[in-house]
Formats: sequence, C-alpha cells, structure tokens
Amino acid sequence: MSEFEPKVVAFLCRWCASAGADLAGTSRLPYPPNAIPIRVNCSGRVEPQWVVEALKAGADGVLIGGCHPGDCHYVAGNYKTRRRVYLLRKVLAELGIESERVRLEWISATEGARFAQVMAEFVAALKRLGPLHGNGGAR
Amino acid sequence: MRAKLAVYWTGSCGGCDVSFLELGPGLLDVLSQVEIVFWPALVDAKRQDLERLPPRSIDITLVNGVLRTEENAEMVALLREKSRFLGAYGACAHLGGVPALANQGNGILEAVFGPGFRPAPPFPEAPEDTPPDLLPEALPLDEVVPVDFVVPGCPPPAGLIARFFEAALSGGLQPGQVFAEEKALCEECPRVREERRISRVLRPHEVLPDPEKCLLDQGMVCLGPVTRGGCEASCPKAGMPCTGCLGPTPKAGDPALALLSALASLVRAGEEGEAAFPEENRILDGLVDPIGTLYKYAFAKYGRPLRRLARRREEVRA
Repeated sequence: MSEFEPKVVAFLCRWCASAGADLAGTSRLPYPPNAIPIRVNCSGRVEPQWVVEALKAGADGVLIGGCHPGDCHYVAGNYKTRRRVYLLRKVLAELGIESERVRLEWISATEGARFAQVMAEFVAALKRLGPLHGNGGAR
Repeated sequence: MRAKLAVYWTGSCGGCDVSFLELGPGLLDVLSQVEIVFWPALVDAKRQDLERLPPRSIDITLVNGVLRTEENAEMVALLREKSRFLGAYGACAHLGGVPALANQGNGILEAVFGPGFRPAPPFPEAPEDTPPDLLPEALPLDEVVPVDFVVPGCPPPAGLIARFFEAALSGGLQPGQVFAEEKALCEECPRVREERRISRVLRPHEVLPDPEKCLLDQGMVCLGPVTRGGCEASCPKAGMPCTGCLGPTPKAGDPALALLSALASLVRAGEEGEAAFPEENRILDGLVDPIGTLYKYAFAKYGRPLRRLARRREEVRA
C-alpha cells in the first residue's frame, strides 16, 4: 500500500497568505502538494462551519493562513479568527478529533519560504496523526 | 368528523406530554375536535391496539422523546405506517435533545458502569420479559422514519402548540413545516444590545444579570442569535440565557459553531493585538463544557457526524 497522503484544505487570505503561497510557487520552492487552496478575502471570513465541513467532507487537516498581527488589511479579522480557532480546537478535542488538525498560521506576502515550510510541517504532522477518515487515504 | 390523534413518547422526560396543558382553556377546543386513538400518557391502549389499526388511519401523530431503544425504533416505524401525518414534538424528537448528549461517550453502559463492564450472560431459560436492547446511539426521530413536520421546544411553548393545532385541525398542515419563526430569537427579545464586546464569559449562576441589557453583552452564553424565535424570548426575559431548544434558524446551520463564531468575535481583553492573546484565551476558557452548552439540544443532529468520525478512528486503532 502506498504511503498515506493527507488531504489538506487551506483557507488563505487574499492579502497575505495567498500572496505568500503565490510567491512560493513563482520562487519554485518545493513543498508537499497536499493542499487544496481556497482564497478568501480575509482569514476573519473563515467560519468554523467551513472548517468542520472540510473535515467532514474528507480533509485530514485544515490550514488557515492570515496576516501577521497588526498587518490585517481589515484591521482585526485575523484576531477574530485566532479566537474562533482557539474555541473550535477545544470543541474538536472534546469530540475526539485531534486539535492539531486545524492549524492557524500567520504568513505575509513576502514569506513564500515560510508558506512552503508551514505546508511541509503540517503535512508531516498529519502523516503522524494518520488519516481522519477510515479509508486511510487509499486511492 | 373528528381528526384521529395519536401522541407517543419514546426516550422522554414526560414534559412534552404535560405541555399540552399550557393551552389552558384552549385545550378544550382542541379536545372537542379530535379523537384520541393512542396516547399512553392519557388513555389505555397497547401496542396490539395500534397494530390492529389500518395503515394511514391516524390523521396526526406526535412523537416526543429521543430514540434510545430498539423498541422505540419499532414503535415509531409502526406509528409511521399507521399515520397520515407524523411529526416530531419537542427538542428530543426534533434534534436529539439533552439525552442525546450521551452520544459524546463511547456507549452509555460503559460510561455508567466503567470500562470493565460486560453484559451478564443470557439466562439458560428464556425469561418471561426482558428490557429492549439499546440502540448504539440516541437518535432524533427523522433518523429512523420520515418526519412531516416539527413542533420544536423543550417543551414546545403554548403559542407554538396553539399554532400547530390551528393548522392541523383546519387541514392546513404542510409537509416540512416547522412551527417556529425563521428569524432569530433576538428579534423578539426586549433586552437592549449595546456593548458588543465582552470581557468575561459567565455561567448563569455566576451573575445576577442586569434586567434590561442583552445577556450576551453581559458575558452569558445566550444562543438567541442562532435560535429560532417563537417562544417570545421567555428565558432571556426571566434572566436566563437561551439554550437553543427551538433549534437553529435555517441560516445559522450548526448552532454551536455559529454561536462559537459570534462569541469569539465579541471577546476583548483591552486593545486587540498580540499582547492581548493570553488574556483573550483566559476569557474564552470561561466557556466550560462547550459541547453541553452550545450543543445542548442539537448534538445528535450536528455534533454527532464528527464524533462518529473520531469514534471510528478509535475503533480502528484499538
């Protein structure tokens, strides 16, 4: 059987994290191609229901990428998301889902290398956790 | 001709059966228009009596309670066959209700009797009578039979019961109808919203709330913003936060996650920024028992899919 390849849904904010991901690409930085990126205008727009929907629909992990503290294009969207993710991870843990499956990272538009590093770390962490869904990522 | 009515309880506290009395004198009007064919709390009729009825011969059946045993599931299947309209009455039949919080654990018997628990071996001779087997999970009604309408609440408030009978007895029952508002409870709550930021999260016993101000603004976890109206905000009016018994509005989706999102955006520990993160976390930690608080009635419907996923993984590992 081939190695388990985690499926990741990445909600990336338009102003920072998504631009960072683009930079990783144009810089030809290698990183695991496990993420389905979804660009949102602000990390503050990411509803906890979307994260849970992604997990229910087959994702093994969800990454939310936003601007660094103080850099949010909409001033405070990333702060709201930080608080939401804090509570959501608690709820997931109580339900028996490892909270590490939901990850919030600050990635600026200039941090292509950081995006690549975050992806590599996250995918490695998810491989250690194993598949969330019973089929074990069999393709 | 009088409408034939059946009312049945499954895993129920009995409060739903009592709630009909809330109609007051209006109950007499209702009773003059119906013929009770089956209602274990009120009249003597057994399962055999029900089995003898022709299919679809009961006009309206109301089921209250969560489905917890094999017998519950059999009875509602039988009632479904005998009924033209079958509805979920009360939060347990509608969403699973409080008893469905048992789905958090890995089996109710293990939770009660401990990890070493094993069922006793069967008797050598077949016993005269045995209790029915438990279902693996506590289920809302629509997981077992198709449900035509919902009268929500814990128990349903008088106004909604009246609205239901008005529709049902005039032949105006629509499939899929939920007898509550689509708008949030806040729309009918007289409390005043001001602050829109909270510096503490409190449980009801920790505070004597201001009589005028919004309870959420005062740090109480009120599910009003994500819950259907229809009860005239009776709990918030009495100083208790809404716990969500009428179920989420169609727009809210998962009520726990929707309220979690709203609550997190209101929390402030002074100026927002990196320096405030630890204090913000401390405030958010004031939400103890997030599952029991946010999913009080709706866990079976909304929290269970993820719980199931986690449980399957635990089984695979074991």
